[in-house]
Amino acid sequence: MKTIFLALASLFSLALFSQNTISGKITNEKGKPIAGASIYIEGTYDGATSSGTGEFSFETTATGNQFLIVSFLIYDTYKQEIDVANFKNQTVKLRENVNALDAVIVTAGTLESGNKARVSVLKPLDIVTTAGSAGNIVAALQTLPGTQTVGEDGRLFVRGGEASETQTFVDGIRVAQPYGASTNNLPTRGRFSPFLFSGISFSTGGYSAEYGEALSSVLLLNTQDEPDQNKTDISFMTVGLGLGNTQKWKKSSLSVNTAYINLAPYQAVIPQDVDWNSPYQSLSGETVYRYHFTNGIFKLYAAFDSSKFDLNQKNINFEDKIRTDLNNNNFYLNASYNGTFGTGWHLISGISYGYNTNKVKFNESDVDSDENAAQLKLKLKKHFSNYFNLSFGADYFITKFNENFDDNIALKASNGYDSNIAAFYTEGDILFSKYLALKVGLRLSNNSLLEETNIAPRASVAYKVSRSSQFSFAYGDFTQTPVVDYIKYSKYHQFESEKARHYILNYQFTKPGQTFRAEGYYKDYSNLVQYDTKEIQYNSFFSNNGSGYAKGLDLFWRDSNLYKNLEYWISYSYIDSERDYKNFPTMATPNFIANHSLSIVTKYFITDWKSQIGFTNSFSTGRPYNNPNETKFMNGKTKSYNSLSFNWAYLLTTQKILYFSVSNILGSQNVYGYDYAKLPDANGVYNRQAVTPTADRFFFVGFFWTISQNKNDNQLKNL
Amino acid sequence: MTKIITTIAFFICSLLSAQTQFEQGMGKAFGLWKEGKNTEASAMFERIASAEKNSYLPNYYVALINTTAAFTEKDKTKLDLMLTKAQDALDIEMIKDQNNAELYAMQALIYTAWVVADPMTNGQKYSAKVMEAYAKGKAIDPNNPRVVFGEADYQLGGAKWTGVDTKPLCAQIDKAVELFGTFKPETSFSPKWGLERALESQKNCK
Repeated sequence: MKTIFLALASLFSLALFSQNTISGKITNEKGKPIAGASIYIEGTYDGATSSGTGEFSFETTATGNQFLIVSFLIYDTYKQEIDVANFKNQTVKLRENVNALDAVIVTAGTLESGNKARVSVLKPLDIVTTAGSAGNIVAALQTLPGTQTVGEDGRLFVRGGEASETQTFVDGIRVAQPYGASTNNLPTRGRFSPFLFSGISFSTGGYSAEYGEALSSVLLLNTQDEPDQNKTDISFMTVGLGLGNTQKWKKSSLSVNTAYINLAPYQAVIPQDVDWNSPYQSLSGETVYRYHFTNGIFKLYAAFDSSKFDLNQKNINFEDKIRTDLNNNNFYLNASYNGTFGTGWHLISGISYGYNTNKVKFNESDVDSDENAAQLKLKLKKHFSNYFNLSFGADYFITKFNENFDDNIALKASNGYDSNIAAFYTEGDILFSKYLALKVGLRLSNNSLLEETNIAPRASVAYKVSRSSQFSFAYGDFTQTPVVDYIKYSKYHQFESEKARHYILNYQFTKPGQTFRAEGYYKDYSNLVQYDTKEIQYNSFFSNNGSGYAKGLDLFWRDSNLYKNLEYWISYSYIDSERDYKNFPTMATPNFIANHSLSIVTKYFITDWKSQIGFTNSFSTGRPYNNPNETKFMNGKTKSYNSLSFNWAYLLTTQKILYFSVSNILGSQNVYGYDYAKLPDANGVYNRQAVTPTADRFFFVGFFWTISQNKNDNQLKNL
Repeated sequence: MTKIITTIAFFICSLLSAQTQFEQGMGKAFGLWKEGKNTEASAMFERIASAEKNSYLPNYYVALINTTAAFTEKDKTKLDLMLTKAQDALDIEMIKDQNNAELYAMQALIYTAWVVADPMTNGQKYSAKVMEAYAKGKAIDPNNPRVVFGEADYQLGGAKWTGVDTKPLCAQIDKAVELFGTFKPETSFSPKWGLERALESQKNCK
């Protein structure tokens, strides 16, 4: 090998007089030889590849001072000016490139999905092909550890936190109203179709200082930078119709999605537990416009959703059913710019505006509310080296909320609040080596409504112990303005922010096709709002003296190597949590917490049938409820919850898909909890009514058709 | 799909009598590649690329060597690095010239390698990009055999098991085989691989 080089090198230079031999050895930082590195004199053909012992030698006809370059895949490229006459038997040490794919990353608290994620717990297709998720991002996330299935609510409950403790962000900017409107134990779903997002990062705690106003969790959704191609998507479903179109130009693109949902035909066929006067109907649309500049990308995301329903529900306190008539309109706009400038600078800025109006009629009473929420965001990041990055930024949140109550007899009331929050944060990422990384940040926020300033430190560290496993630890302080139910009474009472402190220890093991995560956490809640009346009312006595804790263990295992075409994951969560908040007389476990939860998701692709078949089983132990007939508070426990869902996607052709899904095939009679009468009956007993799903099973049949130039594309990802 | 690598024909140019340094260097690099010394061949092409900024060929072959090797690479970390290297080399030439069908065919091949490496994760993302790259290549040179063949062959995989009529795709492959026959490479080092794979595909089409 060496002789060939020498022979050829001498051939090259026959006509020349001077020749210099360059020789030496390539090693890593620890002195271990590196084989296969490329060594050459810049701008010439003269060079060699290091041997098994890391040694190299070649001749060059270049003279004087030249640049010697040494490069190898996973190492930083070495470039050094040398005197060619004088470079023999030298050792060149290469430094490992910390951006290489196997470098350590902080993973405590964060579950990632999408193309850019290093370790993806959910793949892009999973949101839509997980049985039981029915295209609802939130439902798919509920198969991950750390979440609780709260069937009568539908929102994300994370590690002992209320649903309101999770904030949703689109392209880094907060979405004030991420869920569809709902009421009285009817579950809601996320407003966003998974179609327009390329990456999802779900943090169950310990997140970056960039995010505030969230006690438990943040859900980060990133819209696609670039759509695949021009296409039209059409869907016919048992619950409605959908239409989407994408246009792509040289530097820009536009995607539009619309859907009309009407549950009338479905509710006519499948018996329901409530009487619908008028079925659930919604008209929604989303659009994303993207423009690529030389050094950045501008995105405009807008979503509109109008929905309504009218139903009668049994209520234990009344003989007749209660009628609820709801109308909701929601608009969300988000514009962002993400780009680079100068040397190593990265700018992310954006603005969002959300408008939500609810008109609800409970029998004769009217409750109308509207909320305007806006955010301004600016973030700068400076890349000093592969070993150090610094980011800092500012946020400004504006919220105006107003609610009018009118019982149409005697009582009229109006409540609301204006809130302005200004926040600044800074965060440093330090990589000591490929094996040790540290992230330290600080968030400072001022809330004008609460008249308070908070400082929240955050820190996380990750250490890689072997090629496939690493530990990380995260710590953070988090604050959040109390929910609207309280602060709408701000004119009667001065509230304070609620607080949480997280400690998280994470272990992660990854191999191609396999991921195992174990995470233990402790969460300390303080400053929670308490009140002294049965219901929250303007003249309740409020305080911020509540407290609580949550501790537990989350396990996750995902594997695709066991059997060809089979993918599965298993999530298990154990939680122990108690709170003394709201109008609790004592510390107790809130009714949305089940101590043990287990989800098993499987997907199997059958090539001969052109089908993907999936099963999801969700199990959780009983949830507490308070039985006023017993002296001990929150002493009751429901039976355990179980739901087995099934889905089947059949490819008629590459562009036409028939999709079928059914939730809770076994028809388990699940009970989420009990509503007790406010007053005892003649025998002194408080009667109760079970909170159950409106129907045991949910069936769905849809036909999805994609029209595009590329005959291979289909809507499998949209299901 | 992984057969692409095993069947891509390597063409070693015969050394001409009046050799320039470029020809000598390229010849040597092809020699190393033929011997199966991928790392050395890639390094040699890289050196030539650093010295000869006017030819797209050295970087083209850096991309081709690393991409074809990636098709059979089992180690996912290495595979990522190889395809990243291929993409980096191609990017250098793509910036200089957006009017070369061969570069788009190469781009499509890199995306195909990503798809083959992990269809569940990369399929949806890169499939459309593969087709887009071929479409761009076709717009520049509708008669480039690698573009015509690559585009048809990529679609054939999906079409076969969904029962879509493969006749139009097979017709494209027949056309590609013909084009391979009449294709005249610009220089002795210009890309000319692909005929063997096309012939095999043609056999299976009938």
